[in-house]
Amino acid sequence: MNIRRHPVAAPLSFLILLFMWVPLIVVGVNSFNTQTIMAGWGGFTTHWYSLAWHNQDVRTGLKTTLIIAVASSVLSLFVAVTGALWWRRASPKARAVYDGLIFARIILPEVVFATALFFLFLKIHFSLGLTAIVIGHTVWNSAYAAIIVQARMASLDPALEEAAADLGATPWRAFRRVTLSALMPAIIAAGLLAFTFSFDDVVTSVFLQGASNSPLPVVILGMIRFRITPEINAIGLLVMLFTVTIMSMAVIFYATAGSLGRAGRRGSMLDMYR
Amino acid sequence: MPPPGERPRRRLPAFGGLSRLALLLPTLVITAVCFVIPLGLIAVYSFGTVNQVNFDVYFGWTTQNYHDFTSALYLHTLARSVFLSLSTTLSCAVLGFIFAYYISRQPPRAQQLLLVAVIVPFWTSFIVRTYAWVDLLQNLGPLDRFARTLGLHGHIDILYTPYSIAIGILYSYLPLMILPIYVSLERIEPALYDAAADLGATPFRQFRRVVLPHAVPGLIAGIIIVGVPALGEYVIPEILGGGKTLMAGNLLADQFLETGNYPFGSALAVSVMVVLMLLLFLLRRAQPAAEVQ
Repeated sequence: MNIRRHPVAAPLSFLILLFMWVPLIVVGVNSFNTQTIMAGWGGFTTHWYSLAWHNQDVRTGLKTTLIIAVASSVLSLFVAVTGALWWRRASPKARAVYDGLIFARIILPEVVFATALFFLFLKIHFSLGLTAIVIGHTVWNSAYAAIIVQARMASLDPALEEAAADLGATPWRAFRRVTLSALMPAIIAAGLLAFTFSFDDVVTSVFLQGASNSPLPVVILGMIRFRITPEINAIGLLVMLFTVTIMSMAVIFYATAGSLGRAGRRGSMLDMYR
Repeated sequence: MPPPGERPRRRLPAFGGLSRLALLLPTLVITAVCFVIPLGLIAVYSFGTVNQVNFDVYFGWTTQNYHDFTSALYLHTLARSVFLSLSTTLSCAVLGFIFAYYISRQPPRAQQLLLVAVIVPFWTSFIVRTYAWVDLLQNLGPLDRFARTLGLHGHIDILYTPYSIAIGILYSYLPLMILPIYVSLERIEPALYDAAADLGATPFRQFRRVVLPHAVPGLIAGIIIVGVPALGEYVIPEILGGGKTLMAGNLLADQFLETGNYPFGSALAVSVMVVLMLLLFLLRRAQPAAEVQ
């Protein structure tokens, strides 16, 4: 690192990098640590992994989470794609409302939204459980998905669809072969992103789960509240690897969408968090 | 998108036959029914009352719920929330700024690597990231032992205090601050730095006249993305606060999950929203001023 050129920023940045990575490394290391109080290195073990593997709560939690994540991402994509199709034809004023509601869904503290939806479901006697969680996740997930799909839609030239129609394609065929296939990389990226966000969610799930099985993050939260156990480190490392893999796939799909080369890839990686 | 009218819309409505309303319907259901209406509902019920025996909620026009949390206990929690989110947002802004500036001054290859180093921790499971700090901060944990080798007597006693919550929030939200600031700093042409230096600007003056004005839009975006969710944070205080009700998010959650005092909970939620809207309004006002520079 070029400390001479940046005598202040370089060492501080190194410390910040350390700050960001040390906790993750500690989780990884402790997942193989024989010491239960984790006061130091006691020796190598895979015991915590087998403990996690045989934990019934963790297993059902994982299954529940996967069901919710898949359902919510499919639903979010449906909302985002139809929304983007509408957005193309909408008036500027209607677009502003639409975009404002996307912003609101992303920015509002989740606990406020989750309690409000919980209260509505209670009032209309909609039973809490998996369906309720899926709906809850879809509310904010569809907002993220909409941003990604919309960005791609904006760069889609209507002339392509007109050409398809001129060449005799039925509206449905033109939509499928031109519009949908042009949007596909964004749809896949948005779907993967929605999947990880849902997979990772605690707050909405806590409020909307009712008496049904808890999703994995809620199971982990319960375990953490109960006591500190290295088993959580093992589960944690596996969950980390899983989500990083999915997110990397999302970025790769999104990046290959535009043939912009390296600069484009970096830009698009950031677009997802703007 | 070409402006409407420039290109005849005759082809696009091929779908328009299905009518635009049908396309809007999914979004309408999800945002209106599941987002706007619930928020409206709690806004209305924040003026209601609850029967303490059977937990039935009655709608009445009372401001009692808002009076209630002006009691010392709740006001204290609310004040602590505001203070915690303000201080962590500011620390985030300072650290995020330093790091984003450093990245932006690197050669392209190093920039890519550093960005990945920022984004990967951000991608890892939220709950695991937060839990990691329990491992790190607990007495007899790595930091505690490190402090002892430095000569501290006793323990650090940070875990399950507002400090551990602040560290957790700072940690979780830092990437969200770094990325937008980086995006705005990246736009500075390197030639601009050279020009400033050639014209005799001191490093401090370069920083004040070149770096800072460019960073403002990113800083504001970062402050919004970090400060707003931090104020309503629920999971981090839950894990690093040790079950004590330390922040507004937890107080709010308790009203719905534990005590069943929905009107009071609603009043809390509405108050959080009002504070946030005020914050957003002020930051919006700050934005055009920044663009003029």
